[in-house]
Amino acid sequence: MRKLVIGFLLAASPALAQVAPDTPNPLAGNADATEAGHVLFGKMNCAGCHAYDLTGGMGPDLTDASWLYGGKPGEIFHTIAEGTPRGMPAWKDKLAPDQIWQLVSYIQSKKAN
Amino acid sequence: MSFRNLLLGAVFACATPALAAPTSSFTGATANLAPSDPAGQWTRQARDYANTRFSPLTQINQKNVGRLRIAWSFSDGQMYGHEGAPLVVGDTMYVVTPYPNIAYALDLSKAGAPIKWVYQPNPDPRAIGEACCDKVLRGWAYADGKLIYNLLDDHTVAVDADTGKEVWRVLLDDVSKGPTMTQAAFVVGNKVFVGSSGGELGTNGWFQALDVKDGHTIWKAFTNGPDEGALIGSDFKPYYPWMKGKDLGVSSWPGEMWKQGASAPWGWVSYDPDLNEIYYGTSNPGPRVPSQRPGLNLWSSSVFARDADSGQAKWAYQFTPHDEWDYDGVNENVLIDIPWRGGHRKVMVHFNRNGFAYTIDRATGEVLVAKPFGLQNWAKEIDLKTGMPVVNDAAHPIVEKKVENICPPDIGVKNWNPSAFSPRTGLLYAGVFNSCMDLTNHIVQYIPGATYDGMEMARHPGPGGNWGEFIAWDPVQGKRVWSVKENLYVWSGAVVTGSDLVFYGTMDGWFRAVDARSGKVLWSQKLGSGITAAPMTFLGPDKRQYVAVYAGVGGGAGVLRREKGFMPGGNTLYVFSVDGNGIGTGSNQLVSQAGAAAPVSVPPAAAHN
Repeated sequence: MRKLVIGFLLAASPALAQVAPDTPNPLAGNADATEAGHVLFGKMNCAGCHAYDLTGGMGPDLTDASWLYGGKPGEIFHTIAEGTPRGMPAWKDKLAPDQIWQLVSYIQSKKAN
Repeated sequence: MSFRNLLLGAVFACATPALAAPTSSFTGATANLAPSDPAGQWTRQARDYANTRFSPLTQINQKNVGRLRIAWSFSDGQMYGHEGAPLVVGDTMYVVTPYPNIAYALDLSKAGAPIKWVYQPNPDPRAIGEACCDKVLRGWAYADGKLIYNLLDDHTVAVDADTGKEVWRVLLDDVSKGPTMTQAAFVVGNKVFVGSSGGELGTNGWFQALDVKDGHTIWKAFTNGPDEGALIGSDFKPYYPWMKGKDLGVSSWPGEMWKQGASAPWGWVSYDPDLNEIYYGTSNPGPRVPSQRPGLNLWSSSVFARDADSGQAKWAYQFTPHDEWDYDGVNENVLIDIPWRGGHRKVMVHFNRNGFAYTIDRATGEVLVAKPFGLQNWAKEIDLKTGMPVVNDAAHPIVEKKVENICPPDIGVKNWNPSAFSPRTGLLYAGVFNSCMDLTNHIVQYIPGATYDGMEMARHPGPGGNWGEFIAWDPVQGKRVWSVKENLYVWSGAVVTGSDLVFYGTMDGWFRAVDARSGKVLWSQKLGSGITAAPMTFLGPDKRQYVAVYAGVGGGAGVLRREKGFMPGGNTLYVFSVDGNGIGTGSNQLVSQAGAAAPVSVPPAAAHN
């Protein structure tokens, strides 16, 4: 898995399709996707801002029910892909859509509803 | 006879501290208080070049300090952590908010100290996501009729102190790659000294001298990399042999990892006018995972002495070689002169995050004293022959394995919160932390603009259960003289006065005055938020002494945000006087004569945009 991620980083990423806020997570219920998202969360340095337990620090807490840019799967996807004006980097050039959905799966497994 | 000579006379007159009268020094340590500003003014963050934060004022004293009340207050509307001290020049007070770094001039000659002018620099909001530890600013400087400070997005600006109009603005780095600026600009003569932040962002730390007139760079020294870029040349004479050699800022790293090795000088600067040297420290190496960067990782977690005019390094000392715990070296270097083995030494005192307080000969870089000032177990001692710590084997972090009970945690036994030194008592005063961590390291990769970190930590308080303390320190013997226990980390700065009062604040919102000699608490006032800023004291236009401090908890102190007593954020400057008296108080109808409104970008106006 790690080699796959690094391999992907070195390759140019395809242009990302827009995702509507109500788009469901195509990987919903897939435990492998959640675990892959967990690995990506560490690998892409997400933990540096959101902490290894996702309770936040430099960036917001991802385990609570307060979502600045929306907590629906499609909204979380959009936030990861496009970044935010308050400091979240845009990851669409570094991650494929499937990988972003894996991260969404992992975050969904930790967040309050 | 100058004030300083009076002090020296007093020090030499009392040889035996044990028999000391109340005015004698505990240690015989003194300081050069240059540039010896008028007693009632406060024109730089630490008041003097030596970084003593000593005020000679005595109106507020041991007898009347219990009657301190709020004279006036000022809310600036910004909710990030507040860390700097207000400046007072003439009849004007200057404050600058954390991001978005709005400057206010307050007219002290009028009732209620109304706004005289406002300056809005509008920094790039991308900086918000690049600043590791809240969107803070640790201070600002006044010089040559200008207010000079750093913006979070890597600009330094100078503002006309009379009008609030921008005089110059220079861009010093690319915030999209990770570096920010949170440091307090420090001015000597025609130079503004500024440093970069970003120890957790894979940055390439630098320090520069800018021209006060127009902001152009006079010299710039990278921390790491080849000697040429680090301004390390023939003048460089480190005291210990292991820091001698060519291009150690390259060869003490694997490959080209020095380029993302951080070592950012985000802390305090001090200056010795006799040696014409400046002193500043550097941050942790990046990434924080040591197994990814075997080697000493020079010049991370170090202190530099440089010629103020040329920037050429005179000596350096690495406090924590191959820093494995994020201990940094950025804390203040307080320049004092001590009696030492029958003679005298010009020294600096540095409370490092690693838990050791160092007394270092500032002319040579020789470590004279290095003793624990709080709870630490990562090192058995600092070997004074080599200057190297003797590391405890059980304290080494391991990748993907939890190592329990390393003391202190990353944030140290003391962080950037500046200490104070009194030439009357010969002691330093500092807020300190009592805590440890369970640490699990994770391998990280460098991604520009993202964090480059890898430490997963659970922090817990040390013996006694209290997270914090406020201590008095003897820099000659290397020992505590007294301490006051506090529930949470004491993350405020300190100020000490000519009447032997020390002021500091707590994270649970208490602003205190204590007796500098005994540590007895003489006054406490609960404020609206936790205190992580530096207090200061000044004389108003009415010749009355005031004490001022911001209450606005934030910055690194946020690591305790889930502990009982941690307060909501705030943004209020509180100004105290005896009985609350002053120009801004009275039984009649006082009215404001303001020169400007708060910017419309600041709540509540912003809510109506």
